[in-house]
This record gives sequence, structure tokens and C-alpha cells, in this order.
Amino acid sequence: MENNATSNEYVRGTLKTIVLNLLAEHDRMYGYEITQEVKDRTGGAIALTFGALYPVLHKLEQEGLLVTESVEVDGRLRKYYSLTTPGNEAARNKTNDLERFIDAVRLLLAPKSLATE
Amino acid sequence: MKRLQENRIDLINKYLQASKLNPELLPEILDHLACEAEERLWDGKPFEQIYDNLMETADTQALLNLSVDHKNLLAMKKSLNDVVFEGRNKLYGAYDLRKSYGQTIQRSVLMGVTLFLLLVMFPNLYARLVPESKPEDIAYIIEANPIDIVPEIAPKPLIEEEVAPAPKTERFLPPVVLPDEDVIVENLPPAVEDLEHAEPAVETVEGSEDVINIIPPAPEVVSSKPATAGIEPKKEEIFGVVEQAPQYKGGLAEMGAFLQKNLRYPSGAARAGIEGRVFVEFTVASDGKIENVTAIKGIGFGCDEEAVRVVKMMKNWVPGKQAGVPVKVRFTLPIIFQLD
Repeated sequence: MENNATSNEYVRGTLKTIVLNLLAEHDRMYGYEITQEVKDRTGGAIALTFGALYPVLHKLEQEGLLVTESVEVDGRLRKYYSLTTPGNEAARNKTNDLERFIDAVRLLLAPKSLATE
Repeated sequence: MKRLQENRIDLINKYLQASKLNPELLPEILDHLACEAEERLWDGKPFEQIYDNLMETADTQALLNLSVDHKNLLAMKKSLNDVVFEGRNKLYGAYDLRKSYGQTIQRSVLMGVTLFLLLVMFPNLYARLVPESKPEDIAYIIEANPIDIVPEIAPKPLIEEEVAPAPKTERFLPPVVLPDEDVIVENLPPAVEDLEHAEPAVETVEGSEDVINIIPPAPEVVSSKPATAGIEPKKEEIFGVVEQAPQYKGGLAEMGAFLQKNLRYPSGAARAGIEGRVFVEFTVASDGKIENVTAIKGIGFGCDEEAVRVVKMMKNWVPGKQAGVPVKVRFTLPIIFQLD
């Protein structure tokens, strides 16, 4: 639980990028599908809670980066999300930004880990 | 893949509705939870256990946090209007007015500016749309002929000339300058003494001196002045200007002495200090008699009467002559009254 909480702390800042990146790979996805995808690909290291995911999805929709379509599945409405053209652009930019940031963080962290070893 | 029964979905739905979840989020959360439940059913767990698990993860606090997070994230885009109208009736109309205020202003400014520019540029636009008239585009040609106004003016001077004839001199034979050999001695102008007893005429006729000689008028004279000659044969014409002016016998110096001797300064005028000229008009008849003495312009205070009295006292003058014939002449004599 403690582990999960810390990962959540980092996820909060990168969640938009993660969602955009996943949607860029897929045509369209719904909320649960996204959480499952993240869980599968990270081997459960990052678990998105619905509490964090849906506000971000709605926010991206409000910003015009995503469009939604509602489809009725098994007696309930399922909302599919897909990228718009500015959304594609934003996905590329944000992914690049995050990669640079991770590289920078790695540079910051590397000497310390070397020293401890 | 196992499906969740409808009654179970309803169960979750009711739970979510009871937790005051944002209606915008509800269908998605429902789907999400349902998907999760189905997956666990797939793993072979009983629904009751799954439901309990779900309630644990999606407890009231978690759902409330979700609503708040969602609201906060989206609220960044909320305008002042949304804040002002939070919890108020937005359908009333004021909200719409406020919301569209910016657009309305934008539109009205655009229209206003457009109208203003149109108004300002109207003359320019008009000039561009309506082609300017070229110098060769002549619509009308009006020839301005000078009006000859000379004939209208001309008659007036003619009339004046007719109105003002030169009447009084034509009766007399003007002396003609001729070379000596052509001069007929008999035709020399008569002396003044001769004319004293004879009327001037074209020819010299021997007749009685006592008889008033009525001269048969010359044909041209008859034609030009018949009325005057017929009605008043006796009346002599009074001349204003003659070739030889009438004269006081003895000349101006004598006359001056006469006036000096006879004129008395009227006492009233002397007291009032009146000075000036009195113009006395009279006629000198062809025999030199002073007649019709009047003061035509005076200074009053008895001076006028005094001047007239003295002039009447004058003896006969040398009459004025026209073409050698003594004639009646109107004479104006200024008499100066001056205090010493």
C-alpha cells in the first residue's frame, strides 16, 4: 500500500502523458481498458485508480485533445475515448518532454546510486 | 466471458447514486466497476465477495474524492459566470445574457466600427463607384450670345436732346466774319442809338417811330415759336446770359460807391452780429430800367429788405445786348453785409 501510494504520487504528474500515449497507440479505449493496459504492461507496478483516471480523461476532453463516443454494451453505457488532431500533437510533445525529464532525473539519480554501491 | 446480471448492475448503480457521485461521472464509474466485477467473476470468485471488495475500493470517501478532484480539474476552465451562478437558476435568462456578453460586445463593436467606417468612407466609396466625369463628357452646351442692349439705351439721349432745344438764340442774326471786300456796308449792325427807336428786324424799314412796330416774323420763326409770338407779342424774353452783360452806369466802382452811400446796416442785424451776403435778383429791361427786385437768398434781420430797397433806388442801367440788340436780362447782385 505504501509502495502504491508513492507510485501514485509520480503517476499524478505523468498520467496525462500516459493516457495520451496509450490512446495514440490504440484507435479508441474506454476507462477500464486503459487501467488494464497500464496494469498489464507494467506488471502491476502502476495501478491506475478510477479516482485518478476519469477526472484526467474529462479534463483532456475539455481541452479538446480527446473526443468521446458512447456505446451501449451489456445494458450499460460505455464511453470510448480517441485522440483528436491536436491530441495527437500533444501526445507526441508530452511523450518527448517526459522522456527528456526521465533522462534528466536518471542523471540526477545515477551518481548517488553509484556512490551507495 | 461472464456477464454481470442486470440486477447486480442495478445494485452497483444504486450504490453509486446513493453516494452523490457527480452524474457526469456515474455511467463511466458504473461501467468501470462492472468490468472489474466481471473480471473477478471470470476468476471464479462469488459475486458477494466481489461486491464487498468493490465497496471497499470504491467507498464513499473515494467516490467523494473523485467528485472533488473532477470538479477541481474542470473548474479551472470555469468562468466567473459559473462561480456567480453556482446553485442559481441558470434557465432564467440572466446567465445566458452574461455568458454571451463577450460575444455580444464583440459583435456590436464590429458592427459599430463597420458602420462608422462606412459612414466615414462613404464619400470616397461613392466617388469610386460613380465614375468621375471627364472633361470631354459634356452633357449640355449652352451658347451664351451677348445681348445687344445698345438700342434700348439709345432712345433716351435722343429724347433729352429733343426736350432741351436751344430756343432763344435763333431769332437773331448772328454776326458773320467775312473778308473785308465781301462786307456790305449797308448791312453793318445798327448802332445802339438807332435801335432806341427801332425794333430789330431782318431788314431796316423806314417807318414811324411812334408806331409800335410789329415785326412780321420770319417764316422759320413762325414755324418754331408760333404760340409765343401770337399770344404774348409784347412780352420780352428775359435772358440769363447775354453777349454783353448789363452794367451799372459808370461801372462797378460807381455802383460800389452808390451802395456804400445808400446802404444802412439794419440795427437788428448789427445787434445780433449778423454778417453775410444777400443775393438780390432783378431784371434789367432793354431800356435799362430795374424791375422785379427780389432777394432770392438772404440773411434776414432786415438785411434782405435793406438790400432790395437800395437796389430799387438805382438809376437806369446800361441794358444787356444780344447780337447788338438791347434785351431784357436777369441779373443777380450779391450784396455783402459786413460789420467793421
